[in-house]
Amino acid sequence: MVGSTGRVTGTVGEGLVGEVLLHVPQRQGTEAFLAYLAVPGERLRPGTQVVVIEHQPPRTVYVAPL
Amino acid sequence: MLIGIAGASVASLIILIVLFKLMWRVAEPNEALIISGSRHRAEGVGEGLGFRIVTGRGTLVTPGVQVVRKLSLDLNEADLDVECVTSQGIPVHVKGVVIFKVGDDAVSIANAARRFLDQQAMMGHRVHNVFAGHLRSIVGGLTVEDMIRDRERLTGETRAASGTEMEKLGLIIDSLQIQEILDPTGYIQNLAAPHAARVMRDARIAQAEADRQATEAEQESFARKAEATRNSGIQQAGYQAEMETATARAMQAGPLALAASRQEVVVQETKVAELEAHRKEQQLQADVRKPADARAYETRTKADADRDARISAAQAQAKETELKAGAEANRVKIAALAEAEATKARGLASAEATRATGQAEAASAEAKGLAAAEAARALGLAEAEAIKARAAALAENQEAVVAQQLAENWPEIVRAGAEAFGNVEHMVLLNGAEGMGEMFAKALTMGGTGLGLARQLLGTMNGATQPAADLPAQAAAERPRAQSIPVQED
Repeated sequence: MVGSTGRVTGTVGEGLVGEVLLHVPQRQGTEAFLAYLAVPGERLRPGTQVVVIEHQPPRTVYVAPL
Repeated sequence: MLIGIAGASVASLIILIVLFKLMWRVAEPNEALIISGSRHRAEGVGEGLGFRIVTGRGTLVTPGVQVVRKLSLDLNEADLDVECVTSQGIPVHVKGVVIFKVGDDAVSIANAARRFLDQQAMMGHRVHNVFAGHLRSIVGGLTVEDMIRDRERLTGETRAASGTEMEKLGLIIDSLQIQEILDPTGYIQNLAAPHAARVMRDARIAQAEADRQATEAEQESFARKAEATRNSGIQQAGYQAEMETATARAMQAGPLALAASRQEVVVQETKVAELEAHRKEQQLQADVRKPADARAYETRTKADADRDARISAAQAQAKETELKAGAEANRVKIAALAEAEATKARGLASAEATRATGQAEAASAEAKGLAAAEAARALGLAEAEAIKARAAALAENQEAVVAQQLAENWPEIVRAGAEAFGNVEHMVLLNGAEGMGEMFAKALTMGGTGLGLARQLLGTMNGATQPAADLPAQAAAERPRAQSIPVQED
């Protein structure tokens, strides 16, 4: 999962639980994950391309803007 | 025997197949097999779960030892119907729908299996409760206006708040939609009332405008129809009039043709009459006018000839008179010229003679003048010499000279003094002979006075070497005094 790229579907930011859509090769599908900012910074609006920095199973990822 | 062996083989094969079928379980694409009853390791879940999860493939299950249960991975739907209160304290009724499913990863399936394996039908209710709590909390921080205008924000915040809990449940929210926000108090309706009224007003205005435009268009259409009808009527009337005119002309064609032929006849008769009149006029011209003109011409020609003859005679007479007068004038002119020439010649001769005489006289006068001038010059020079000598003498001895002069001119002096009495016709002397002698003495004294004056002048002329003050006191004493002589008046 780490290193996967996806896009934001729910605003990711400080104090928010965002949502990103990521492709999961093991299950050959795109799934939604709860997303947090890997590095505190600006909010990521829906549509922003992101990369997964860390994955906490089952469905939480820490992302950074691509 | 062989058949028995074959039958047994087939039976055993069938038994094996049946046993395999009993032991082999295949997971459908939309389900996960939860196999429990033996120690297993699940991928990514770690140790200690105690069950095995199989998705999308088959697995052997030991009947009687292991238990296989299915967990549906299908979509589930939970309708939200939540009573909320906004930050303004206004109760609202939020309706929505949550579409969720069990996560595809092993952890989510394990979480969901442990929570919902026997309560899969209750999954929607649980999810509803989770979302209802979060929704109330979020709506409590918003206003009705925010909820209406930014429904996406409400959805996003709700989804974010419940995401973690859904993750614990092993569920994934595929969709969350707030479908309806109901307002039992009518707040939203009242909120929308001005806008609705404005919209209604605009709609009514638009409708009225459209109605007006439609009416205008209709009326314009009616007017155009009426205009078209009028134009058509006018054209029809025009065509009818043309038709009637043509009909009338057709009806009048016969009489018109008759009249035209009659007119032609009249024209021809008129022409004949004109020709006849012309012929008669020509006849009269030839019979009457031409002879009359000839006679008049003859008479006029004769009169002209007579007049010309008389004029010629008069002109000849005048010419003759003119010529005679000219000849006479020439003759007189020539005679006058001759006389003038003669007079001129005589004048010239006389002038010449006069000039010669004048020149001779002038020469004579010149000679005389020269002689006189010479004589006068000589006389002047002599007088000048005399004066000069006299002056010298005066300079040397004035008294002697004056005495000499007086002696020389005494007779003239006495004569001049006597002349004063020469013109006296009657003289009355009051004192006889003494008076007479006194009077003469005075006359002579006058001469002496003149002598004194002469001396004074001479003194002045001599550069005032001897001013008048030097004159002899005798002369001053001899200055005559005014003396009145009584004269008897007549």
